[in-house]
Amino acid sequence: MDLPNLPPLFVYGAILVGFVITNLLLAHLLGPRKHTPVKDMPYESGMDPVGDARQPFDVRFYLVAILFLVFDVELLFLYPWAVSAYSEFGIPPELRDTVFAVMLVFMTTLALAWVYAWRKGVFRWR
Amino acid sequence: MPEILITLLTIGVVVAAIPGVCNYLILLERKLSAWMQDRIGPNRVGPMGLFQPLADGIKLLLKEEVVPPHVDKVLYLLAPALSVFTAMMAFAVVPFGPVDDSVPGFLRFIIAPNINIGLIFIFAITSLGVYGIVLGGWASNNKYSALGAMRASAQVVSYEIPLGMSVLGLALMSGTLNLEELMHQQTQGGIMSWNIWFQPLAAIMFFTASLAEANRLPFDLAECEQELIGGWHTEYSALKWALFFLGEYTHMITISFLTSILFLGGWNLPFIAEATSNYPGVWLVKLLVLFGKAFSFICLMIMLRWTIPRFRFDQLMELAWKVMIPLSLANLVMVMFCMQFGFNRWWLFVGSLGLFAAWGVISANLREAELAARPGYVKPKKKAAAVAHGHGHAAGHH
Repeated sequence: MDLPNLPPLFVYGAILVGFVITNLLLAHLLGPRKHTPVKDMPYESGMDPVGDARQPFDVRFYLVAILFLVFDVELLFLYPWAVSAYSEFGIPPELRDTVFAVMLVFMTTLALAWVYAWRKGVFRWR
Repeated sequence: MPEILITLLTIGVVVAAIPGVCNYLILLERKLSAWMQDRIGPNRVGPMGLFQPLADGIKLLLKEEVVPPHVDKVLYLLAPALSVFTAMMAFAVVPFGPVDDSVPGFLRFIIAPNINIGLIFIFAITSLGVYGIVLGGWASNNKYSALGAMRASAQVVSYEIPLGMSVLGLALMSGTLNLEELMHQQTQGGIMSWNIWFQPLAAIMFFTASLAEANRLPFDLAECEQELIGGWHTEYSALKWALFFLGEYTHMITISFLTSILFLGGWNLPFIAEATSNYPGVWLVKLLVLFGKAFSFICLMIMLRWTIPRFRFDQLMELAWKVMIPLSLANLVMVMFCMQFGFNRWWLFVGSLGLFAAWGVISANLREAELAARPGYVKPKKKAAAVAHGHGHAAGHH
């Protein structure tokens, strides 16, 4: 099996970086710039801002992030399996039953983790 | 023509076309919204407002660039660049036309052909897009931006999982993540081999989760104008604001192409563009068919915007974690059983509908139980009885 054809990706990426930088430069060069005290305030519906916006936030966002990490890493393990499980050059037929059993256990633990998170109230948003 | 020239030609066309197409998509969105709301929409610049995008582009280019002193300058500039870069980069592995022998040699409708991890590449790159949002919101040092960025990150992160899990069944069936290969398999078998027949539930979940990833209504909690002004891009103006929107519309284009390629058979259309059809110019017809499918998905997204009201944040998270994740996992297990024991693929169609209905019933019951556990909950009575008593159950139901 040949290696994937990567050079076009890098060329495209480089051109995109150039495109983005050009845009930012254009925005910088064209157009006037006049600072006034009111224009420089954070726009908060005409109210004078109180305090800093970078404040501690709700811990539930943190929980969701951790849970995402757990599930996304498990998802990453699932991709190679899904591609090779039943394809022609993938897992040989005599191993398929074993892999099937192992994956069932894996999915069960995934489901258990999910039920545990639910019972712990991670999904409750009020 | 040498390979490198073909690549450069394709890249040139795509990089030039995407901003233009996005501009006209904004016009399309405004026109469609106007029609849905019984208005006329933009009609001043050019016939039927056709030059409106050009005027908007020039205006955005020449507007004042405001970089307020309270922002973190580097991150503030990095955020729009990152969000447009990731959105356009994801398009690299999407075949936006037929990729076979019928296409003339100097044309190629994919930037990076033969990438065997195509789908993973797209998910990896688009999930980097959340950095654009978080950085923009944090760097702006504005409370609305911070709120929008937090909501957006939680939302994008949550919908990432059902998005990735819904295509796993597809990968299991097709044995590949290469988008060209996925399209090829469906086009060879005609309409009855389109993946939507075997994975209807996955198709719906994929499209819904993609909408959430792109922050489109009804999932635009991150930038809801009525509550958060503009969400994370409140402090942005001129071309930097335009870059955010370029990113969002590019994301829409990618989603539409992806949904058409993954589930609706790519360029395949009965009687017009079949695998066996072999008339001159067939590649153009195939191209137009795929473009038509993608275009109808974009129209669907725009029309959904004015059809479904915005979710509340807890509903949004519940949809992701309590509905879509278990459903996509169950769908995956179903495909797994089907492949292992060699059942007919059409059972997947029946099974998907069954799963959908079953989870509907289960989650309704769970909801009822959850409500009942709350203090002060009064069990809703039958309609007639409620009218007769008329008191004592104001809290709780609805």
